[in-house]
Amino acid sequence: MGSRTDILNKIKANKPDKLALPTIDPYIFNEDLDLVKEFTKKVEVVGGNVYPISSLDEVTLKINTLLPNTHSNFSTLENTTGFNTISMDVIKRPHELEDLDVLVLQSGLAVSENGSIWVEDSVLPMRILPFITKHLVFVIDERSIVPYMHQAYEKINDFNFGVFISGPSKTADIEQSLVIGAHGALSLSVFLLK
Amino acid sequence: MSHPKLASIFNKDEQKVNWHDKALWFVRHKRDLSVHQVKGWETLRELGHNIKAHTLSNLDNYLVEFETNALKNGIQVHWAANAKEHNTIVHQILEEHGAKKVVKSKSMLTEECHLNPYLEDRGIEVIDTDLGERIVQLAKEPPSHIVLPAIHKNRHEVDKLFQEHLHTKPCDGDPQYLTQEARKHLREKFINADAAITGVNFAIAETGGFVVCTNEGNADMGTHLAPIHIACMGFEKLIPKQEHLGVFLRLLARSATGQPITTYSSHFKRPMNGNKMHIVIVDNGRAEQLGRPDFRKSLHCIRCGACMNTCPIYRRSGGHSYDATIPGPIGSILSPGKDLTKHSSLPFASTLCGSCSDVCPVKIDIHSQLYKWRQIITKETKQPFVKKKSMVFMGKLFSKPKQFERIGKIGRWALRSLPQSMINAKPNVWGKSRDLPKGPKQSFDEWYRNRMKKSQ
Ligand code: SF4
Repeated sequence: MGSRTDILNKIKANKPDKLALPTIDPYIFNEDLDLVKEFTKKVEVVGGNVYPISSLDEVTLKINTLLPNTHSNFSTLENTTGFNTISMDVIKRPHELEDLDVLVLQSGLAVSENGSIWVEDSVLPMRILPFITKHLVFVIDERSIVPYMHQAYEKINDFNFGVFISGPSKTADIEQSLVIGAHGALSLSVFLLK
Repeated sequence: MSHPKLASIFNKDEQKVNWHDKALWFVRHKRDLSVHQVKGWETLRELGHNIKAHTLSNLDNYLVEFETNALKNGIQVHWAANAKEHNTIVHQILEEHGAKKVVKSKSMLTEECHLNPYLEDRGIEVIDTDLGERIVQLAKEPPSHIVLPAIHKNRHEVDKLFQEHLHTKPCDGDPQYLTQEARKHLREKFINADAAITGVNFAIAETGGFVVCTNEGNADMGTHLAPIHIACMGFEKLIPKQEHLGVFLRLLARSATGQPITTYSSHFKRPMNGNKMHIVIVDNGRAEQLGRPDFRKSLHCIRCGACMNTCPIYRRSGGHSYDATIPGPIGSILSPGKDLTKHSSLPFASTLCGSCSDVCPVKIDIHSQLYKWRQIITKETKQPFVKKKSMVFMGKLFSKPKQFERIGKIGRWALRSLPQSMINAKPNVWGKSRDLPKGPKQSFDEWYRNRMKKSQ
């Protein structure tokens, strides 16, 4: 336990009188966004690409033209077994995914104001997947886009691990010049289902 | 060494100072563009401020709530009163599991506690995995900025460092190539790591989970590969509920770099099957700061770095001139609380222009606190003889308007008529590396009186 009691007592003695907890009224921020338009704009701002689709069948076909000649592919979409070159059942350690080229994930929540997409471990056979893959592809139904983070958190319930992903990984740590592809995905594509 | 002395070292390379100044101002500008797009931005800041203020006023209870929920989630919770206890706890966890290779993502707290040298002395390899942090680690320097750790280094310096340590080819400082090489080098470290250490951006009492934000994905590459995850947090990182993340995640990245959100906002709640997750809650002077009514708001800080990017002093003196883990305006109000004598020059490293308070996403009254520290420092630490005397002299002068007017006249005449060499002579510190303006014929007072006369 170490210093638990000491720390808590010190805080109790030093804290100010109780102040009220404000309530968040999301309506204040509302600007009647065109959710799809704003989401698309923001994904592009953060370095990703958005492709409208009208049926899930288009997904793997489109990926093959966008990212041809990949060796290691994995998708959690139904009916894409022909696309998958690896099976999660035989993967014992996350480390074995090091050469994964393309990962396709479905998400039920995306945020218009910042182009981010929520993924939680209920749809992830392994947590490392969206980070270790070279190319990350999301499939999202237009209707799962919410305007702001406030609405997003209303939809998030229980999870063990979850992440908002906004664009491919990036850094500007060398003289402030932006480089896409730091430790995570080198590219991010979003297929937006009408 | 005092801030002015260290700043003068940084100022030797004028070109670099100019670049540093402009680069940070550019980041500040991106912040402006980004926040101006958010409807209700000021309300958002207000909310951020008030949620933090409320949390601090009930912090002990929230910490207990957090602990209870984290334990339920299968996270082990540790408490550390100071840096030494923090380091001992982390080392013990690593030792228990025989972990020898550690990857670390950005955590200002572990910098504050000097965790790396502590672990290295005990035979553990610690690799900083944020690119900027890796650069300064290879250079054996501390970060000079909390969000942009290597902002004081130019691309050629990075090129040279990488050639030396990562055996890269000379590339004339090509950021693309250098980043790629760093990716390869660190990929290997991730794959072989026994444990991952991260900081914490926000810990949530209601859920017992915590959030870590990165752009590079380094925190996730570390934590989802290694079997042990140790997250270290100062206790002020706590917020009451998950819904509050909506406020803080909207504020953080926009204020930091102008991005609408960081690339990854990772929410950790329960460890993966078979893996271990630990959280170390650290005081290290924070409880004391909480007890100082004038300064407790400094604990609202969400470490966005905006106050540094906007500060005219920081931009021109560099992060290292503050000789503290957290540099810049916020560092200058946190550090004196830890060691008043060592950091006594920091609250004076400000023009009190208030720009820091204006950009702060959680509305900390940074410049007022700087002013308050000055009052305390002037009373409690020894002041140079000349400064003391001149303050008394100026005090008298300002209290006698007639005399002030006379001296002002002489001053303005001197600025107009004396040769440059005399104006910029050594005793006049205001003339150091700076040309003073030509003294106007009229004082403001005279101008104002004339104007009033005319309008009558
Ligand atoms: S004091 Fe405010 S502006 Fe400065 S780093 Fe902290 S949150 Fe950001």
